[in-house]
Amino acid sequence: MAQFVASGYLKFDNMVPKKLCKACLVEMAKKKRGYYTVGTPFEETWPKGTALGDAFRLPKVKGLIDSLVGPRPLYDHHAAHFVGAKKMYGPNTHQDSVIDFRENYFDIQLSLFPADTPDEMGGTFLIPGTHFRNVRTSEITFYQHMRGKVWASCNAGSMYVWNTRVWHGARSNHTRRDRFMYKLRLNPTRPQIRNFDTSDLDDPKIAEILSTNHGWEGNEHRYEMMRRVRLWRFVSGQPNYDFGERFLRRIEYLPPDEGGKGVAVAI
Amino acid sequence: MPLVQDILVLFQTTPGLDSDAIGWSRYEASKGIRISDLVDEADPPYLNAMEAMRDGWQVIQMSEVKPRSADDAYEDGPLPYQTVLAKNRELQDEKAKLKK
Repeated sequence: MAQFVASGYLKFDNMVPKKLCKACLVEMAKKKRGYYTVGTPFEETWPKGTALGDAFRLPKVKGLIDSLVGPRPLYDHHAAHFVGAKKMYGPNTHQDSVIDFRENYFDIQLSLFPADTPDEMGGTFLIPGTHFRNVRTSEITFYQHMRGKVWASCNAGSMYVWNTRVWHGARSNHTRRDRFMYKLRLNPTRPQIRNFDTSDLDDPKIAEILSTNHGWEGNEHRYEMMRRVRLWRFVSGQPNYDFGERFLRRIEYLPPDEGGKGVAVAI
Repeated sequence: MPLVQDILVLFQTTPGLDSDAIGWSRYEASKGIRISDLVDEADPPYLNAMEAMRDGWQVIQMSEVKPRSADDAYEDGPLPYQTVLAKNRELQDEKAKLKK
């Protein structure tokens, strides 16, 4: 969870069995477009008795969803992504949907790669750690390259789950085969507090993970860490959590005579 | 062939010309008017703007330090600073200008 807070994404290999992946590909090839009813309970809305229905209901996937958005999430939307053989992409870094300033909240997107997706096939790229930087959708195509960029390079059945605000985009498919990815967005229905395994909240490695430098942060690093600590405080239910130099304390501390409590308080 | 302007933008987290580039973009009009296939690059072409200047790039815009207010000092958004550099290069394909 700390890694999700710091980097905005997680990768899971072998989430969906190969046989089910093949069945998902058949369904995706039908290229049905359109959404189900946005904002309805996922469990009621999501199809049953289909390969894609089953793939996103696998126990491991359900556990992943429960940990990040909690039980009984809402269906937001889905999209079957096809990048045809030899389809080239120019700059297209973007942030999905619309600019979103909600604090202590995030939607997730699950990206299933139902076929092997080697580097040259151009799997989705992400700029880890950019999910606190709000921008208007595609204006960041201006940023063609950034240090720290990663991209999906994986075997069939792999799944990426990411904070919907992570900067990302499509890459050129240099192979003679089509590329497939299936994306599903979900919303929480309750505050995303302690939905995950909290048995190791005291692990000092959490501070190390929250301090991750992805390569692009530079002088922004401590400001990024402050955002991560705020989100970690929320999801872990620890309103006074901080580490290292305690940068949040630097803007929260006030002596008692000036209206403070004489200790760091959450703001 | 005539010389035309190519642009290199280096993105930085502090405004100085010696600040490390953490992002970069190229607008090479000498090659065409679209970027049809963006090839991944792990590292910037130059460590910073000064290294680019030593390779003949001309600085045509640099950033100034941003004023900060209590309301937005901690708000994250676009990358904060950039240096725009230009170099004249020979036009490679006259037809590229006409492509839409």
